[in-house]
Amino acid sequence: MTADTNTTDAKPIRSSLVWKRFKRQRTLHLFVWIGILYLLVFAYTPMFGILMAFKNYTIVQGIKGIFTSSWAGFKYFIEFYNDYKFYDIVRNTLVLSFLKVIFTFPIPILFAIMLNEAKNMAFKRVVQTASYLPHFISWVVVLGLSFTFFSSNVGLINQLLLDWGWIDKPLPILTSPNYFWGLAVGSAMWKEAGWWAIIFLAAIAGINPTLYEAAQIDGAGRLARIWHITLPGIRGTVVVVLILTIGSILGGGLVGSNFDQAFLMGNAGNNDTSEIVQTYAFKVGLAQGRYSYAAAIDLVQSVISVILIFTSNAIARKVSGTSLF
Amino acid sequence: MKGRLEDRIFDGVNYLLLSLIFFVTAYPFYYLLVTSFNSGTDALLGGAYFWPSDFTLENYKTFFNDSKWLSALFMSIARTVVGAVTGVLFTCLVAYGLSHKGLVFSKVYFSLVIFAMYFSGGLIPYYVVLRSLGLLNSFATYIIPGMLNTFFLLIAISFFREIPNDLKESAWMDGASELKIFYRIILPISKPLIATMALFVGVGHWNSWLDSAYFVRAEYLRTLSYRLIEIINQSRVPQEAIEAAAGASSVTSYSLQVTAMIVSIAPIICVYPFLQKYFVAGIMLGSVKE
Repeated sequence: MTADTNTTDAKPIRSSLVWKRFKRQRTLHLFVWIGILYLLVFAYTPMFGILMAFKNYTIVQGIKGIFTSSWAGFKYFIEFYNDYKFYDIVRNTLVLSFLKVIFTFPIPILFAIMLNEAKNMAFKRVVQTASYLPHFISWVVVLGLSFTFFSSNVGLINQLLLDWGWIDKPLPILTSPNYFWGLAVGSAMWKEAGWWAIIFLAAIAGINPTLYEAAQIDGAGRLARIWHITLPGIRGTVVVVLILTIGSILGGGLVGSNFDQAFLMGNAGNNDTSEIVQTYAFKVGLAQGRYSYAAAIDLVQSVISVILIFTSNAIARKVSGTSLF
Repeated sequence: MKGRLEDRIFDGVNYLLLSLIFFVTAYPFYYLLVTSFNSGTDALLGGAYFWPSDFTLENYKTFFNDSKWLSALFMSIARTVVGAVTGVLFTCLVAYGLSHKGLVFSKVYFSLVIFAMYFSGGLIPYYVVLRSLGLLNSFATYIIPGMLNTFFLLIAISFFREIPNDLKESAWMDGASELKIFYRIILPISKPLIATMALFVGVGHWNSWLDSAYFVRAEYLRTLSYRLIEIINQSRVPQEAIEAAAGASSVTSYSLQVTAMIVSIAPIICVYPFLQKYFVAGIMLGSVKE
């Protein structure tokens, strides 16, 4: 750090004040710079790395190769469009994302209302405590659980259905393309519904209790009170959470688990419905070493995501005055 | 006086549904526990739903005598502890710098942080960067790339800003360096924040699987998550289970898998009460910024 900057500035007094402050804070700036340097390496360099989608990049070229390798234009994007798996993986990504939002968005709201209506505190506490435990369990364990309950040889559900004579042979829940979407949506719901109910419970707790008392005196039943007081009372929170969900829809919405699920629960048997853009890009990149192609595939999804983030943010600002940035 | 019929029906249905939800969330964990204490060969026959039909500790004995599983368990613990400590310290240090009132250029710094929080280059370029930096296939692969958590960075900043300025000011006057103020004053009075961060970052490390599966190759670096994926994929093949069942031991690949799952869930259950204490604040901060 040299001390001779800003001496010829148009506003010398102000500048020297800034400089003085900066000098006083220099250790703090050092702390910040370490963090910024870290972000430059691990967050911003990969962002520049997106360039490789437009280049003929090979891994041996290292980071420098991102900038020095020859241009490929839109070659890899066209190749992706013509990929024989293109239709399947784009469809799977979209269907999974929308199914998850449709099912996993209302369930936590419903669950929160149900919990709020249960007046037995101990019961309520036990149910709620159990409900968000799965949030802290890894997807790998959920994969194991899916095996424990649904596999065709040791799966509990299959065993029971066979014992009861409801089916003749085990259902190929884990290995048939017909079941994957249901499995993904169901397991995401099982894992995250209790967690997201917390936020709605907090919103319900903020509703003025005298409203309920007044409604009760007027003779409103439980359902009427939920409909006319609880639901309007949490409308703001619902809107905000919905916007967040739409912004992250391609990752799986609130539950944000498309990649984990498709990667871990996907297999050769259900590949037709389980392969999504992100897992395909990852496999093409790491397994086949085709980094430029993989980056191009990834970029298609990122672009759609960014558009969604900005759109939902703009809508948020307009509708509720709340926005993320 | 007890309310109308409609309300009583409502209550009945509500309690019934909530009980059902409780069963669906809690029973899978309980069933795993039962199966892990059941003899592996017996478990394949099914039928032990609420109590082991052939109680044994063999599964756990096999697990804790297998050097492969022990090494994976050790690696998971190591990365969790080291990852949580370094992650918390590093994030707090940067947050302390950023939390200073009247920090010049703070607008630029914050823009850089926020932008990095919302946008990423994606997995492929990220992998390329790690590879080029020589950060693959070593213990550092687990620790260094995740050291700065932008989400907790923002939480830590708002926490540090609540600390009265006089405290820092007087230490500064006494000639204490910023680093000294950080670890002598800031860290000790931020215990609740540090506990929260350590728990969440730790759980993240414990549950992480992608880096262990794809960013490292050496056997000694494999974590519990990786070994679990490995054994689950093995037992997908029905033949495997039958072969193991025919062997001398009562432990099957499946019963070992279930035992490993319990070992992987147990620490989470242990810290669960502490997680619970803090996460409501965490989720509110994280999702709805007013």
